[in-house]
Amino acid sequence: MGSILVNGKAQEVEVPVSLIELIRNNKVEQPEMVSIQVNGEFVDRDSFETTQINANDEVDFLYFMGGGSRC
Amino acid sequence: MLKPKGFTTKIIHTPYAKEDVNHALHQPIYSNAAYDFESAEQMELAFQGRLPVHAYSRITNPTVENFELRIKQITGALNVTALSSGMAAVSNVIFLLASAGTNIIASRHLFGNTYVFLESTIREFGIETRFCDLTNQEEVKANIDSNTVAIFVETITNPQLEVVDLKSLSQTAHEQNIPLIADSTLTPPNVFNAKDFGVDIEVISSTKCISGGGTSIGGLIIDYGTFSWSKSKKLAILTKKFGPYAFNYKLRREIFRNLGACMSPFAAYLQSLGLETLQMRFEKAAINCRELARFLEEQPQVTAVNYPGKEGSTFHEISELQFGDYPGAMLTFDFATREACFTFMNNLELIRRATNVYDNKTLILHPASTIYCDFDRETREALHVYDTTLRLSLGIEDLEDLKSDLLQALNKTE
Repeated sequence: MGSILVNGKAQEVEVPVSLIELIRNNKVEQPEMVSIQVNGEFVDRDSFETTQINANDEVDFLYFMGGGSRC
Repeated sequence: MLKPKGFTTKIIHTPYAKEDVNHALHQPIYSNAAYDFESAEQMELAFQGRLPVHAYSRITNPTVENFELRIKQITGALNVTALSSGMAAVSNVIFLLASAGTNIIASRHLFGNTYVFLESTIREFGIETRFCDLTNQEEVKANIDSNTVAIFVETITNPQLEVVDLKSLSQTAHEQNIPLIADSTLTPPNVFNAKDFGVDIEVISSTKCISGGGTSIGGLIIDYGTFSWSKSKKLAILTKKFGPYAFNYKLRREIFRNLGACMSPFAAYLQSLGLETLQMRFEKAAINCRELARFLEEQPQVTAVNYPGKEGSTFHEISELQFGDYPGAMLTFDFATREACFTFMNNLELIRRATNVYDNKTLILHPASTIYCDFDRETREALHVYDTTLRLSLGIEDLEDLKSDLLQALNKTE
């Protein structure tokens, strides 16, 4: 187990964990629309399955969807 | 689901962002202002951009979003923002990229309102526009300096119908670490793929062809995610956090939100419907244009015809390369005098005297006395807008009816 930050909140998870698993575990809404930053860097959508998250990593799920971002 | 490849199929089968509770086949019109939240926590996440929900319709709206998603499907853009008008799209982009002390490079051959915006409106905010010949790359390079923040170009200028080699221009822009902004209103996405020609930000007046032919007012900002915003002094800090989304973040979070020029849900509904038939309508209008350019050239009263698709036009080759078989649906033609122009216009029976372009109806206008009436004659002529020129924007009527109308009006014109 290891501690990671998801959207600014601490979570204890089995590490390493892939981004795609993290999306499932967190029940991320409309995963086809989400953009993900890991430690401040955007991850290419094609790499969601292969990107591994380790202890102390920071993950942010953001929506730049539709025509543009909701943020 | 089978992944659509065709232009029109992609539009018609763009999935909704969220399943409609009633399974409506057209995205319903959400005309409300605000949206309810289950909890304060949900509301907080939404405002942080961490939940895919709407909060307030000036910022995002389901009907407008569906229209934006459709544009995203056909352009392959990173982000699309729909606005209240084409000029809102132009002004939002310029205010986003420029600040006092910076400059924009553009041709003087521009839609009249864009010209005044660049020449006068932003000057009062300390932003300079350096007008030069965008077909001459050496002249463009000579005007760029460390304070240049963008090159702005129209894919076909209105009403001069000039066509710039966009690959060359984008190369010049990118060598100097500057984004290329293109207004492609006269060459809609079914005939022009902006990304292929190095355009970073595309602006469109969707009022024209996309809306279904002048059904409503609207504009689009299309961000291709191709420019590295770390090279922009204004966006460099945001780029550290948001990477390719920096432009969109600044637009949505600040400029678009604070200027408030959002598209209305009703306009978005009409424009989504219009978009479904864009390809069919535009191809017909463009064919009408090509045929009527030939027809007008044969008429003794007509002294000149300007249309980039015309064999012998300076821009024929580059038009074909950039826009294929459909280089716009607008032409200009000249009579010997301004009086002849007015007589001809006044004798038209089907073709309407109106200022829009790419309506489903064919529209005619005398640019010098209307959209350029605020300029003196010397300035107009410097902009290649002459008293003897008429602008004809082709609609989707049947060709023979248009020919008949033109012919009967020509017969009454000296």
